[in-house]
Amino acid sequence: MHSKVTKIILGTIGVVLLIAAPLVITDRYVQHIMVLSGVYVLLAVSWNLLTGFAGQLNLGHAAFFGIGAYASALISMHFHLSPWLGLLCGGLVASIFGGLLGIPSFRLSGPFLAITTIGFSEITRMVAMNWVGLTRGSLGLYGIPPLTPIKLGQGTSIEFTTEFSAYYVILALIFIIVYVVSTLHRSEFGLTVESLREDEMGAESIGINTSHYKLAVFMISAFIAGTAGAFYAHYERLISPNMLSTGVTFSIITMVMVGGIGTIWGPIIGAVVLTFLSEGLRFVEEAINLDIRMIIYGVVLALVILFMRQGLVGVLSGLGRFISRNPERQT
Amino acid sequence: MESLFLQQIANGLIVGSIYCLIAIGLTMIFGVMNLSNFAHGDFSMLGAYFAIYTTAYLSGWFGWISSMFIAAIGVGIIGYFVERTMFRPLMKRPTDIDVIMLSIALFIILENGAQLIFGATPQMVVDPFQSASINLFLFQTSYIRIFSFVLAILIIIALQVFLTKTKVGVGIRAASQNSKASMLMGINVSFIYSLTFIIGSALAGLGGVLYGTIFAVYPTMGAMPTLKAFVITIMGGMGSIRGAIVGGIILGVAETLGGSYLSMQYKNSIGFIILILVLLTIPQGLFGRGKRHA
Repeated sequence: MHSKVTKIILGTIGVVLLIAAPLVITDRYVQHIMVLSGVYVLLAVSWNLLTGFAGQLNLGHAAFFGIGAYASALISMHFHLSPWLGLLCGGLVASIFGGLLGIPSFRLSGPFLAITTIGFSEITRMVAMNWVGLTRGSLGLYGIPPLTPIKLGQGTSIEFTTEFSAYYVILALIFIIVYVVSTLHRSEFGLTVESLREDEMGAESIGINTSHYKLAVFMISAFIAGTAGAFYAHYERLISPNMLSTGVTFSIITMVMVGGIGTIWGPIIGAVVLTFLSEGLRFVEEAINLDIRMIIYGVVLALVILFMRQGLVGVLSGLGRFISRNPERQT
Repeated sequence: MESLFLQQIANGLIVGSIYCLIAIGLTMIFGVMNLSNFAHGDFSMLGAYFAIYTTAYLSGWFGWISSMFIAAIGVGIIGYFVERTMFRPLMKRPTDIDVIMLSIALFIILENGAQLIFGATPQMVVDPFQSASINLFLFQTSYIRIFSFVLAILIIIALQVFLTKTKVGVGIRAASQNSKASMLMGINVSFIYSLTFIIGSALAGLGGVLYGTIFAVYPTMGAMPTLKAFVITIMGGMGSIRGAIVGGIILGVAETLGGSYLSMQYKNSIGFIILILVLLTIPQGLFGRGKRHA
């Protein structure tokens, strides 16, 4: 009972802080980084769903991000569909591709699935590079319409062209998606999905249709990443095949590993921490004139895998247990 | 048209033989240690840079030949340290996801480290033949390509002799078949693991020197060979050296033919299309033992 009350209080404080953040931090550059870290939160959460919970090693996650972005951008540019629906469309198109990539996962695991997913993302990148008629190739798409204003009657409307308003959109998306993912995680579906990671053969032997669940997880994960991509397209209004590169996937992986793979909070913490860290490193890079950002990512990733498998969440919960244990001993 | 076709086949065989070298290293490491190294191609990149620096100090034939030795030894030593400090502690982890992700971390470190140290400008290993070319009636090619092809085949033959005729080589093959049983037979499996990783990375390094002499050397050159080596080993069957040889030749020829007759831009995706077809039809590969073990 006691812990539940503290949880609710902490949660409310957290939500209030998140909502108030851009009112306090008015610097547009910092606000931009906040929006960017929100996009990475969605990507990290979706990758963690697929790899952390379901154990399906996906090394081509950037493909879903890019497919969502290109799909929504092209649909809104050519068919003048509202970008708000584009968020949904981006997710749906990515989810179809997620389903396609999910099919080989019925029979493949570990390195085989990993290389297939890399191949998938490389092929999508090459298509985005070379199908110049549709994607304008390496120049990228520009002039993507921003999220349309919401009219409140009487001539007042909310514009969505600033970092400030985009922050609230991505925050709302994160709230919805994290709520859905954590509900799924606690449900029977979540348990079944985790059984795929722990012991696929065992799951099959008690009558679980593993293929269905794999397909479902692939599609949900791709949907989230695609939505994140669609949001990104309408926010940045400029997308290029670079967002499909393996570098993006590896950044997502590092974020999840640093935060704590297979947890709800890990990817969120990891994405925020690493986005801000890597922006900070950009200043260091400019000061010393060396590109050290990716090396640091690599070293951090290696160290986390070798010595801190639970990530920051593991460290924090260990700390929490340590703090809460001490008063108990005194009483 | 006829001669263009033969020309492409010849080019494919030559490129394929270099792929073979790199893929054999990957498949040996997978077969013995059950370790998928996504940084394998970056050992080739390191080998190529060893060659660049060796040939900068030693000129001509002597420099080129000694660069092969220095690359193999240098990359082998790096491989040994990587295996001991990074991969060995993970061997007991229950999932192979950790190992794969660690190899990705290694890939990021090596690629960006190389960019930092060597710079992004492409370089070339000095061609000891001064890029002289030869006309073989049916097709035209450079001496260095022919020489690389022959050298790759000689290295593969030497490896086969080592694996079948020497005691250590038989130990490696035994550990690849069943590491627990070979441990019971008195084989020092820990030593075999290290040795396999050293040989595997040294082969990648040698492949890198040949690749760097024919094409160019740059920090990100390792990514594509890694993916291609994986495609080859999956096509040939993970852990099978014979499979890696056949797979390498098939991929090399398919790529050059596809590049000239279908589309140059999509040349690099031909491997992935082959990969998906193989995985959907014969997931255990051409010479794989997957079916028997599954």
